[in-house]
Amino acid sequence: MVFQRSQIEEVANHIRAAWKPNPRVGIVLGSGLGASVESMDVEVEFEYGDLPHFPRSTAVGHRGRLLAGELAGLPVIAMQGRFHLYEGYTPQQVTFPIRVMRGLGADLLIVCNAAGGLHSTYAAGDIMAIDDHINMMFQNPLIGINDDRLGPRFPDMSSPYDPALIQQVMQIAREHDFTCHRGVYIGMLGPNYETRAEYRFLRRFGGHVVGMSTVPEVLAAVHAGMRVLGLSMIANVATPDNLAATSGAEVVAVADRAANKVATIIHGIISQFGAELQERAGH
Amino acid sequence: MLNLYDKIETAAAKIRESFPTPLHAGIILGTGLGGLAERIDVKASFNYEEIPNFPESTALSHRGRLVCGILEDLPVVAMEGRFHQYEGYSLQQITLPVRVMKALGAELLIVSQAVGGMNPYYNSGDVMIIDDHINMMGDNPLVGVNDDRLGPRFPDMCAPYDAKLIEKGLEIARQQNFAAHKGVVVAVTGPNLETRAEYRFLRAIGADVVGMSTVPEVIVAVHCGMRVFGVSVITDMCLPDALEPADVEKIIAIAGAAEPKLRALVTGVLAYEAAKPR
Repeated sequence: MVFQRSQIEEVANHIRAAWKPNPRVGIVLGSGLGASVESMDVEVEFEYGDLPHFPRSTAVGHRGRLLAGELAGLPVIAMQGRFHLYEGYTPQQVTFPIRVMRGLGADLLIVCNAAGGLHSTYAAGDIMAIDDHINMMFQNPLIGINDDRLGPRFPDMSSPYDPALIQQVMQIAREHDFTCHRGVYIGMLGPNYETRAEYRFLRRFGGHVVGMSTVPEVLAAVHAGMRVLGLSMIANVATPDNLAATSGAEVVAVADRAANKVATIIHGIISQFGAELQERAGH
Repeated sequence: MLNLYDKIETAAAKIRESFPTPLHAGIILGTGLGGLAERIDVKASFNYEEIPNFPESTALSHRGRLVCGILEDLPVVAMEGRFHQYEGYSLQQITLPVRVMKALGAELLIVSQAVGGMNPYYNSGDVMIIDDHINMMGDNPLVGVNDDRLGPRFPDMCAPYDAKLIEKGLEIARQQNFAAHKGVVVAVTGPNLETRAEYRFLRAIGADVVGMSTVPEVIVAVHCGMRVFGVSVITDMCLPDALEPADVEKIIAIAGAAEPKLRALVTGVLAYEAAKPR
């Protein structure tokens, strides 16, 4: 990981050369959720292929570019398309963009994903604010020699998802009259969807939704000292006792319909974050 | 995964040279279960090292031979000896033979393995028809760039094991008067056998038996669109509150003694397949 730090600086400098503001917020968009940043005033776009050290996104429904601009009055940087372990990337590669966001100055990470609902009351198209996660990926982006300049050797995970932000999300959802749950995300390696036996296991052991991303990014963000908000869009409901086949295309279609809810939450959270920052600056 | 396609084709071409008949099924024989190969009317056979891109089998009681021939009037290949994650192979290497079977025309994978029984109603020497699995190997053979020629990016796993063949297997066992269960296998890497605490955990997550193979091969078979029939042979009972040290010689002996049951199931399922109208 010591080697990685110069790479983070290199990409950050590359971005700064084209885009001066210090982003306060980093956003990671999930499968089909690209439209969630439509209200963003994009100033510069970077194709992943043009950024040094960036892997390329190969997943369905992921576009593969970094958007820099303003959203709800704050400079933000958003990943349209992310990297997954199932694509064959290392956890260090998957979380590299988070390190770059942090290197550019972001202190809040908003991370979104499309997930399978395990909880019996969840419906396709619902949103869940991630309250906690279980890492079932058998991998960790922090393995290796720790660079203390990036974060501590043993980061605490007692509260990776900021409770105050979760409260704000629940409030925003009520104000806009849509369902938002609060629950536990289980990160799986993938790429196959789970078997019925696996769904039963995950549900029984405390999972509310299951997905193939987010956990590595959140581990890196917490390590780097960022506040984190996680949002899961329930793309399909896994009902192991009456299971129907899941297709990637179906997941993307439901995500399209739910993207406006995610957009509303992201906009609301960044507005409130901006107000907090101003208040702090005023005192 | 992009160079995988060429590796599969090279291996398949080598086998086709000696056995050009398109396959109906591929069979994987697990620890101590190699005896079934004797029933095959052998047309060709290869040591694994003769087949390009095949790893060499290093496991105990695994011969490392691919047998091609006719069983119950159907063209099949059988692997006497398989590859395991605990031997240090990648899951892509382990599952390459399944992809080769598919390339040779196989639409059905029959997979067998020796397992530890955790369900207290099972007995050592019983067989279990696999109804479902839990992958606790911490890895997946489909990780990497997906080659769409081989299968979809996100294969569904809602029914990896063919429901009709599960029923058929149970029926064969009833007719031949031996106990066959239907249950869930959990796959772990091994090579150590589990601790008592691990058995309790694996039982609690919903598994009836635990093994160190099969799940990678099944994931790949589903990825490439094959039907699957899986049989676990319970070679020792792993009851955490009455656990005895595992004796590998004894495990292999019990597998050998149970082998006729596996033989009946595999030949019975193939006879059913052969009788099916096309």
